[in-house]
Amino acid sequence: MAGIDLTVEVCGMSGDGTIAAGGILNEAMSRQGYSALAFDSYPAEIRGFGRCVTRSRFGDRPKLALTDRTNALISLDDEQSRSRIPFLAEDAVVLFDDKPPSYVEENKSIAAHVEPTMTLYGAPFADLAAKAAGSARGRNLTALGVFAAVFGASPDVFREVITGKFAPKGEKVLRANLKSFDAGYEYALETFSKRLLNTAPPLRRTDGSRKVLTSGNTAIAEGALAAGVKLYFGYPITPATPIMEYLAKKLPERGGRVTQMEDEISSIGAVLGAFFAGTRAMTATSGPGFALMTELITHGVMSETPAVIIDAQRAGPSTGLPTKTEQSDLQAAVFGGPGDSPRIVIAPTDVAECFHYTAKAFQLAEKYQTPVIVLTDFFLDNRVENIEPPALEPEDARDGNIYPDASAKGAYRRYELTDSGISPRAVPGMEGFMFAATGLEHVERGTPDYTPANHMAMSQKRYRKIRSALADLPAPEEYAETGPLDVGVISWGSTFGAALEAVQDAQARGIRVGALKITSIYPYHEDVIRTFMRRCRKILIPELNFEGQLSGLIGHLDGTEIVRLTMATGVPMAPSVILKKIFEIVGEKAA
Amino acid sequence: MSGEHYLIIGNGPAGREAAITLREKAPQSRVTVISKENVRCYQPHLLPQFIAGQVSEEELFTLPFSFFKERDIKLRLGQCVVDVDFHKSQVTMAHKEIIPYTGLIIAVGGTPRIPERCHRYRDRMLTLKTLTDARMWAEKLQKVSSALIVGGDLTSFALTRTLLAMGKRVSFLLNEESLWPVRCDDQVFREARVKLEQGGVEALRGTIQDIVRRSETSLEVTVDNKTFETGIVGAFYGLRPDVGFLAGSGLTIERGILVDEYLKTEVDNVYAAGDCAQVYHPGLKDYWVSIGYGNAENLGRIAASNLMGEKTPVETPQESILCAEGVRVNTSWWLEF
Repeated sequence: MAGIDLTVEVCGMSGDGTIAAGGILNEAMSRQGYSALAFDSYPAEIRGFGRCVTRSRFGDRPKLALTDRTNALISLDDEQSRSRIPFLAEDAVVLFDDKPPSYVEENKSIAAHVEPTMTLYGAPFADLAAKAAGSARGRNLTALGVFAAVFGASPDVFREVITGKFAPKGEKVLRANLKSFDAGYEYALETFSKRLLNTAPPLRRTDGSRKVLTSGNTAIAEGALAAGVKLYFGYPITPATPIMEYLAKKLPERGGRVTQMEDEISSIGAVLGAFFAGTRAMTATSGPGFALMTELITHGVMSETPAVIIDAQRAGPSTGLPTKTEQSDLQAAVFGGPGDSPRIVIAPTDVAECFHYTAKAFQLAEKYQTPVIVLTDFFLDNRVENIEPPALEPEDARDGNIYPDASAKGAYRRYELTDSGISPRAVPGMEGFMFAATGLEHVERGTPDYTPANHMAMSQKRYRKIRSALADLPAPEEYAETGPLDVGVISWGSTFGAALEAVQDAQARGIRVGALKITSIYPYHEDVIRTFMRRCRKILIPELNFEGQLSGLIGHLDGTEIVRLTMATGVPMAPSVILKKIFEIVGEKAA
Repeated sequence: MSGEHYLIIGNGPAGREAAITLREKAPQSRVTVISKENVRCYQPHLLPQFIAGQVSEEELFTLPFSFFKERDIKLRLGQCVVDVDFHKSQVTMAHKEIIPYTGLIIAVGGTPRIPERCHRYRDRMLTLKTLTDARMWAEKLQKVSSALIVGGDLTSFALTRTLLAMGKRVSFLLNEESLWPVRCDDQVFREARVKLEQGGVEALRGTIQDIVRRSETSLEVTVDNKTFETGIVGAFYGLRPDVGFLAGSGLTIERGILVDEYLKTEVDNVYAAGDCAQVYHPGLKDYWVSIGYGNAENLGRIAASNLMGEKTPVETPQESILCAEGVRVNTSWWLEF
């Protein structure tokens, strides 16, 4: 691939400062004008043991996914880092501490495991930090100093980022960290000057870009704030907790409130209550919490009460793999819960979409009087991308409610059967617009009724309403030439970036392949998807679940053969995996 | 896989051939090659042609990495041995990893020898031993039109021919040290001067007193109180064995590690081969140093075979090669320009 495309890993044990080093690296590279896409992997346990890995992909152009090969590994703990060797590129660079506190047996050092095609840069991280700053705690920053020197990155930008991070902790802490960084940088410049000649990619570029480094979770929270959310109710769960933590700081500044509830059931109950009363509210959870919410979500469907729910998927079932990613809640999000309960499900594919679709969810929920589920996943929530600061047009933040006309006063039919299925919604306090809201089936005025004809009519109304939402939902985006295609790749959520990168790669090799991005999971744009399918000899649907849940949802739309590319490993799908499958389908060998 | 672990320090022609031979003769054993240079085995005698652009970097290399992987020969490149404990049969790496061995072959080659009096301006002279050195020569030669070559080892003559072919103006400085280990008397100088000047080289005699950097492309060299300008200065005072890590190990080291005609050191299961070995010559009853790519390959094979229990002596060089100008050279490299 032309241009700069560098994937860097920092690997260490919990407590080594691995995640912190990765964060500084991302920020520094981003400030130098590179695109950044990063994802951390850490143990499920709170602290004390286990491997931490940050993976960051930097480029001179935006990168859509993480690759499956790392170009540079910064080892803060050889024991942990050894397991990363199989994931390194053939010509990878490995930075390691070559002066451990004691002698080690053969094969205990990472040096024993690197392939001869790789380049080792040994520097005494801990020793340098201890000498420079009086403590080895800053060895993670010493390692970053070595990285900056080896790859020709700007030390000033690193210092700027370190200052931003540690200045609030006081002058002493800041000075120690800067000294630790400088010690590594200077050591590497002096020691590796000759070796730089052949291995360093030109990593110095400043185009004045000031993109913001944002995680999916932060973008979701910012999207909610931009939309004017007032109340957040939630119960902590990985990977959704950072949304609550972020809002707990920001929401009170804007007159809102975050309340930690006793569980997920009460959380969704409170959100429904707030929206019922006319206040924008939200909750965020993951699969296990979402499962608890489903009964009340269907209450929102039946009572036509808005709600915004973030389902940050993680690997399941049950408690599953709390810190691993998966896209296996799709069917639960669309169909979960008792009865026929149509609701809106949207799935952003990148960090910028996390912002915009969360904001949009509030309007959709209000206009269509239904729970809206924003379906993300661990890889999307926890990854960071540097994006243009997202902003919302005033139009996108406006009240989405359709209120009843004054003429309806006194004869208000809350669940009036309309062509669109949308019944003008009154909120408590609107004089002359009292109504009953209940989880029981009801007639137009809201009073319970179990007659067969009414249940059928009301079911039709609820589905009609949700289908009419298609007009306001983002249509599938196509990335293909016109005419017939050998392979059409349909993808959703965090996997879409990898799918598009694979498709672009295949297109560059002359293969007739196209991609279709689906963000409206339910309702979905049947006609657009069917039209795309008909152009393709085969459809490939890559997703991170065992059976292919999106395939199950849309695979029936056309007679085109569906190839399911599923993966339940807890890790994101790399573009190379999808590319290989494309080659398989068209009968060519992967390069 | 048996419990034996054969370790080779050095990834030059001797080390490479030793590893291949060990794998053939001990298929069940572990074989590890450690090299502080971070590149696969290449042909150093082609470096002058590489500098001239006549040989590509890829053509310098001898065998692909896959060759070693397929044979389960572990290459540890860019890694450095700092100590050998012959009693415990283990080496210590610079990164504090301790590696035990069953048998050890030391094939570290030589490192450019710079006389002590030249250390003051060492950073203004280039040597040519490694690929990194060659890359530096190639880069610098793009910017300069002249060069001063100091010394008279085999590489210096090859490089001089390369520089001439590249259209550079070349001066060649001879002094009593520069044909090390040959003494450069008047007769040697006269003969060398004729040969060099026939090739279009300006032959000088004297001793460098100073080298001053005037700019990125200009060095001011003072020889016997006369000052002149040149673009680049190459130092070729021969090689010394690269065996600093053996200091205090108990091995006897003179101009190389002393080994018998079977390349065995005074320690059981420890052999030395290539430029770093000083081999006993039963005929001379003295030691000699073998230099040259083919010789090194051969010594590597012999050391490995003998480590496996064979008893193959090193082929004895002819007496005529060992003497030049009436001086016992005790090397096999003294060839004409």
